[in-house]
Amino acid sequence: MTPLLELKNLSVAFDTERGAIVPVRDVSLSIFPGQTVALVGESGCGKSVTALSILRLIPQPPGRIAGGEVLLEGRDLLTRSEREMRSVRGKDIAMIFQEPMTSLNPVYTIGDQIVEAVMLHQRVGSREAYKIAEQSLNDVGIADPHRRIHEYPHQMSGGMRQRVMIAMALSCQPKLLIADEPTTALDVTIQAQILELLRKLQRERGMSILLITHDLGVVAENADVVGIMYASRIVEFAKVEDLFDRPQHPYTEGLFRSVPRLGAYAQRLVTIPGMVPAPTRFPSGCKFHPRCPRTRKAAEALAADSAQAGAATVAVTDSSGETFRVLQKCATVEPDLREVQKHHWGACHLIEGFDKATATTPRLEHRREVVAATVQGDSLPETAIPAKAESEVGR
Amino acid sequence: MTAMAPDLSGANAYERDALAPEAARSLASDAWQRIVHSKLSMLCLIIVVIYFLVGLASLLPVFGRKINEPLNDGAPYQEPRLFEQRADGSKHLLSPAHWLGTEFQGRSVFWRVLYGSRIALLITVCASAMSLGIGTVLGVISGYFGGWVDDLITWLYSTISSVPWLLLVIAMAYAIQGRTTAGEGHPWLRLLGGTFTVILSLGLTDWVSLCRLMRGEVLKLRDRDFVSAARAMGLGHWRILFRHILPNTTHLIIITFSLGAVSYVQVEVVLAFLGLGITDKPSWGKMIDDAKLELLRGVWWQVTAATVAIFVLCLALNILGDALRDALDPKLRGVD
Repeated sequence: MTPLLELKNLSVAFDTERGAIVPVRDVSLSIFPGQTVALVGESGCGKSVTALSILRLIPQPPGRIAGGEVLLEGRDLLTRSEREMRSVRGKDIAMIFQEPMTSLNPVYTIGDQIVEAVMLHQRVGSREAYKIAEQSLNDVGIADPHRRIHEYPHQMSGGMRQRVMIAMALSCQPKLLIADEPTTALDVTIQAQILELLRKLQRERGMSILLITHDLGVVAENADVVGIMYASRIVEFAKVEDLFDRPQHPYTEGLFRSVPRLGAYAQRLVTIPGMVPAPTRFPSGCKFHPRCPRTRKAAEALAADSAQAGAATVAVTDSSGETFRVLQKCATVEPDLREVQKHHWGACHLIEGFDKATATTPRLEHRREVVAATVQGDSLPETAIPAKAESEVGR
Repeated sequence: MTAMAPDLSGANAYERDALAPEAARSLASDAWQRIVHSKLSMLCLIIVVIYFLVGLASLLPVFGRKINEPLNDGAPYQEPRLFEQRADGSKHLLSPAHWLGTEFQGRSVFWRVLYGSRIALLITVCASAMSLGIGTVLGVISGYFGGWVDDLITWLYSTISSVPWLLLVIAMAYAIQGRTTAGEGHPWLRLLGGTFTVILSLGLTDWVSLCRLMRGEVLKLRDRDFVSAARAMGLGHWRILFRHILPNTTHLIIITFSLGAVSYVQVEVVLAFLGLGITDKPSWGKMIDDAKLELLRGVWWQVTAATVAIFVLCLALNILGDALRDALDPKLRGVD
């Protein structure tokens, strides 16, 4: 089965007066038809930039795609002309945004806005387009679409507007829907309704979804495959069950630990120490090492073990002013994303059982593997990370 | 049997209508309602409409005759009069068409004031169209595309706005004057004569404020999510700019128009006073200019008539402009 969308080593750079910053580096993932892939990470980790650069919507300049490929059904989107891209946007790949309150133009009725999208991509007259718009409003569960189609955005609640956004995005039957934090601005009951709606529409149409979120609950409920992003890179990529059962990367572990559990007794919620580094000041080596408990523990163990620990570890001061030692390797060499278990990729030097392997072969070629995801009985969607190619972005 | 069956569908429809929310009102119809419901702004609107009607009526040939028709044929200079001195020494009003008196060539002030509204409105409308057009297009392009285009346009309007506006208009009028009236210019430049001088010198200089306003507004709107959403739907830049961003700025254009119109009427007077612009037709500025020497001799009616005409129009436009701004810009109402 060929993937619908493949990102291969996608890197995005923004040229600023103080040099280029790289909010997305070497991001690779595949989305198969009918599959939901989630990208999870904190604010500023590059997940939204990744989504925008799939549609080539990052502001250029200062932004630019510094390397890699974005393959839609095998054809690279990055080499297409702007005119060709315009026919991809909305038609093959549609996008919905975080903030439904401002995503609709306040001076037009919602009907006008959906009709505009429909008429842009389909050869229909305006009467036919209104019918399609009404039908798509009906599909997203808006009652009395015949009347509501003539209403203005300000007459609708946030949940309704997000439904309208979904109706507009789906009115042209896209193959992929990019949902950039579609529920973040909504309250919890509406969140559940919107996600349920997306699942239903996905089932009906066999559409793929790239779900951008920072909500692990949303991921667990909706995603088939998850990529965890931290400071511009995917640090872990796996099927949702594998990721939740056996997180491999210390950052993923930290994320799970910081989610409050119903019924569990805890005095304080566990947090990940330190802050997400700004793209202008990414640390050297593994970008997580100043906050990583794993490398700290390893360094402590090493110091207790041997006398030459000083050479193999370095001192790091975190944002709270605390100084501790980490492994020198973590502070200098950026770990590659490699398959640490079957169908489970992680980017960490200290994943158990891989210490020796990385010591001898620091840059493993990523095998192209296909994993059966578990959503739908026998017609299984799949998961893969594309083969790794050299990136143009220097390290 | 069928006659006995209750008409349920009708009842349902009725209930549904009773529960339905109030029908949607567009911004334009909302603004219209607000203006209609305020007596003062309605009065001002009526005044402005009357001025426009008078301006239109002055296109009739009878106006052209009346403004140049002296009360008593003969001498090139006649004593301006407000009353008629009969042989028996009694004072009487002049004929109804001359109730506002006559000027130094014996022509009716009344007709000339009416005719002045045509020129004032012609200048206002044409100069506004020109300056709003230039200001809007340059402003939205500058704000939306940024980069060197923005630099160029910003540089252009900064340069223009660094010269005091009135001086710039006067300088411009001096530069154009010769080409529109003296007969050395292109035929179609001479067609409109002095009126064209005023229109050009206003239209080419007054786009700066709107341009700056539009640039700022578009800079703000361009990062709104609905613009990203439109981009993600596959719309092109120009379509987004003119179909999605521009309609969100119409209130700025209308407000700038209604407030700018006042200054155009006034600047025309200033230009005429300096002997620039209209020389062959009775504009209000020309009338005040003509009457300034007579004023010292106690001939007050021509200045007064023209001034009152200007005053009433400017006051009405000002109040209407304020009302329009309140009605069209929801941000000023504290509701976004």
